[in-house]
Amino acid sequence: MRYAADRILSLLLLGLAAFIAVQAWHLEVPFSYDPVGPKAFPLLLAGLLALLAVVLFVRPGPSGEWPSGALLLRLLVVMGLLVVYAALFIEAGYLLITALVSVAIAWLFGASPLKALVGGVLLALGSYLLFTYALGISLPTGSWIEPLLGAN
Amino acid sequence: MPKSSSLRRWLAAAVAGGALLAGAVQAQAKPPECIAPAKPGGGYDLTCRLAANGLQEAKLIDEPMLVTYMPGGIGAVAYNHVTGVRNDDPNLIVAASTGAALNLALKKFGAKQSVDDVRWLGALGVDYGAVVVRNDAPWQNLDELMQALKKNPSSVVIGAGGTVGSQDWMKAALMAKSANIDPRKLRYVSFEGGGEALAALLGEHIQVFTGDLAELKPQLDSGEVRILAALAEERQAGPYADIPTAKEQGYDVEWPIWRGYYMGPKVSDEAYQAWVERLRELSQTESFAKLREGRGLFPMSKFGDDFDQYVKKQVASFSQLAKEVGLTQ
Amino acid sequence: MFDFLIQGFGVALTPLNLGLAFLGALLGTLFGALPGIGPINGIAILMPLAYTLGLPAESSLILLAGIYTGSEYGGRMSSILLNVPGDAGAVMTTLDGHPLAKKGLAGPALGLSAVSSFIGATVAILGLTLFAPLLAIVAVKFGPAEFFALMIFAFASMSAMMGKDPLKTLIGAVLGVLISTVGVDSGTGVLRFTFDMPELYDGIDFVVMIIGLFAVSEILLMLEHAFRHDQDGEMAPIGRVMVKMSEVLYCKWAILRSSVIGFVIGVLPGTGASVASAVAYTTEKRISDHDNSFGTGNMRGLAAPEAANNASAAGSFVPMLTLGIPGSGTTAILLGALMLYNINPGPMMFREQPMVVGGLIASLYIGNVMLLLLNLPLAGVFARVLQVPRWLLVPSVAILAFVGVYQLHSDLMAIYLMLAIGVFGYLLRKFGFSLAPVVLGFVLGGLMEENLRRALSISGGDLAILWQSGLSIGLWIAAAAVAFIPLFAGRLKAKFLPARSA
Repeated sequence: MRYAADRILSLLLLGLAAFIAVQAWHLEVPFSYDPVGPKAFPLLLAGLLALLAVVLFVRPGPSGEWPSGALLLRLLVVMGLLVVYAALFIEAGYLLITALVSVAIAWLFGASPLKALVGGVLLALGSYLLFTYALGISLPTGSWIEPLLGAN
Repeated sequence: MPKSSSLRRWLAAAVAGGALLAGAVQAQAKPPECIAPAKPGGGYDLTCRLAANGLQEAKLIDEPMLVTYMPGGIGAVAYNHVTGVRNDDPNLIVAASTGAALNLALKKFGAKQSVDDVRWLGALGVDYGAVVVRNDAPWQNLDELMQALKKNPSSVVIGAGGTVGSQDWMKAALMAKSANIDPRKLRYVSFEGGGEALAALLGEHIQVFTGDLAELKPQLDSGEVRILAALAEERQAGPYADIPTAKEQGYDVEWPIWRGYYMGPKVSDEAYQAWVERLRELSQTESFAKLREGRGLFPMSKFGDDFDQYVKKQVASFSQLAKEVGLTQ
Repeated sequence: MFDFLIQGFGVALTPLNLGLAFLGALLGTLFGALPGIGPINGIAILMPLAYTLGLPAESSLILLAGIYTGSEYGGRMSSILLNVPGDAGAVMTTLDGHPLAKKGLAGPALGLSAVSSFIGATVAILGLTLFAPLLAIVAVKFGPAEFFALMIFAFASMSAMMGKDPLKTLIGAVLGVLISTVGVDSGTGVLRFTFDMPELYDGIDFVVMIIGLFAVSEILLMLEHAFRHDQDGEMAPIGRVMVKMSEVLYCKWAILRSSVIGFVIGVLPGTGASVASAVAYTTEKRISDHDNSFGTGNMRGLAAPEAANNASAAGSFVPMLTLGIPGSGTTAILLGALMLYNINPGPMMFREQPMVVGGLIASLYIGNVMLLLLNLPLAGVFARVLQVPRWLLVPSVAILAFVGVYQLHSDLMAIYLMLAIGVFGYLLRKFGFSLAPVVLGFVLGGLMEENLRRALSISGGDLAILWQSGLSIGLWIAAAAVAFIPLFAGRLKAKFLPARSA
């Protein structure tokens, strides 16, 4: 078990190398002015990667510590939150979604519910003011506000 | 993408306790916006700023125009965005150029996208392709260069700022074709942008550069380069008066690089016409002429249907050309 | 011949321009400190603002140049304190900067990096003033073949960074190069590894890559640390704030060498702060890492990349002001700013626009002093500002990452891509990879392939072009030297100094 992680990685890298090689092989080139062309470099790299992966399989290092159980769940939740943040960034508008996600993350990172709520909301508001007024960046408003505005 | 300033208005309204003044906020609530389908600093950025600064100076818009960057897929991301997500936004224009027409012709915006999918608005300026050599090059005019190429197409190293199928490459390919040389037999080197190719020319790494006329002005002034031909219909005025066109030297090649705009397909006729008029009016002001000249652009005024026809014709002829030079089947 | 500089100081010392230089320095430090915003975004954001405010050309250029140089100062802040580089040029700063902070030396580390940055920038600005016309001639001699040799040299220098796991360093570099092949092939226009997604046609954007790789993976790692209740990713206590003179003197040669390296690399078109700091770091590791402590908090390992990235920022003005060719991505945008003002950058600019050129160079001197004065005493303040609790820090990092990418792309795909790269970066770090080789492979790999193919299309396939010029021969020899000399040196040491090496 001590070396399992590097062995798995080595197999993944071998798969990646094979995938790249196949993809590169099937590139259709109308014509090329240089003798190397677009295929050679990726093929070379795939070969090199495969070679290094084999070496890694033969001489793996210690596995290190991997998350499991409750920690793994939390990592997935944070990643999920970030995906939700991305998905609703434009639809919900910067202020709303940033506040919601910030509160959730703050809470996940051990803040008390009250701290998380105040901190998250202030963070969203403060960053919004900083970006729009000090830096002149335009951020999405959120499409749900549109009907309220009646603009277009 | 609704913009922040509408939220600012909304917040202000809410604070004032007038949250229901919705109806009062008219179409002008949203500031006009120009999408530059590239990263900041490139040609599309300049195209957007030409409209943004010009329209504001001429007071043709009430609020400053926002410039949004949407790089990706040489303009395809922005094209898909406007034909899909924001297809009816009356305040949104997108920067385009000959390059966009070429990419449409080569189907690089996706197999389904066509030139008919957007409303072409107008062009505010144009630059022309140019065939450039160093001042110590053996060729004094275009014909001498073309004769050398005819004798042996691979004897001359041509470089430019784009890959096979790009605008810069098309210029070289069309020049070759006009002398019945197979473009595939050329010795062509592609660089990352015209600036790099120009540096390679000055550093004697390449011999011929197919660039753009106005971007060469500094090197032309300093006498470092010789422009063998401008790929324009006729000679340009001012410092360019001595530069002959390719056509007058017997090679029928033109390559105008227009800088213009399009809108979403479902934009209402009124909004579209309003923009056409705005741009037309802008092109006639004196301050704009100065602005345009500063960006190294020659005058071009094509708006509305006129421009729409022009772009569609151009895309059709590019598709034809792409087949002839072996880019597409 | 220095008339332009005297005239320039006349321009730069007006109250308006002094104020703008200060504002630029301050904003630049801020932009640089925020992960992902960086000089390019900062200038892109403020360029239209400067223009609409109606500032004259030299004033707006002074403001923008202040932001550029300021962000090279600011980039180190989050590198040292959080192990998240503020911009591309600050990637190498994390290697020794963050370990120093963990040892409780965050204050001195910030101070030392400010001093190194100051010296690096000063050397480079002097170089810019003295050699600009001269250096421009050498810079155009760099054709594709010379660039290819330079990339070989850069990769050979990287072998110095192998560290404790050479195999994973190599794999990381290969993965980085592979990522650089995504997008339109620059030679033939063929699409590689884009899977019919237009967002990938232009390749993977550097900003998306960096923010994903560092910021997003950092969020996940911080969660792990918080869960395990260890102090690892926590902001280290700042301890004493000022750097000691003896510490600066310890690094003096490292700083001077790296300043020169940074300046020279900055002058070369197309290579910027990231390459400069990498070459400086690896060179310094070769020369002065006697006890193998680079990467564990060696002051020289911090001073070298910091001096180099600031020197390269000033160096990249040389091709821009003399040839009108950008030396880096950021100067490319400054060129765009010049064009807004109807100024055509190029060889004529020194003669036609002495006010602008002189004013800019003079303001670089002034801005540099301002940055030192701003950064030395305030290092502690900046550090304390960044010393916020984790539960507030993590959402802040997420916000900056999202806004940075969104501002540049206006597109959700770019954000999803950033998240995917973040997971990739997290996994790499869990497998024991260091991220620097991945980033360097990504930056250098594309340049290497492009230039090799350009060189071969120029020669029509004849490989001899790769070693035809004196410059490229010199670079090949240098590459061989950095790759092989340490092997022999190591053996010699083992032979003659058995007691010490044991």
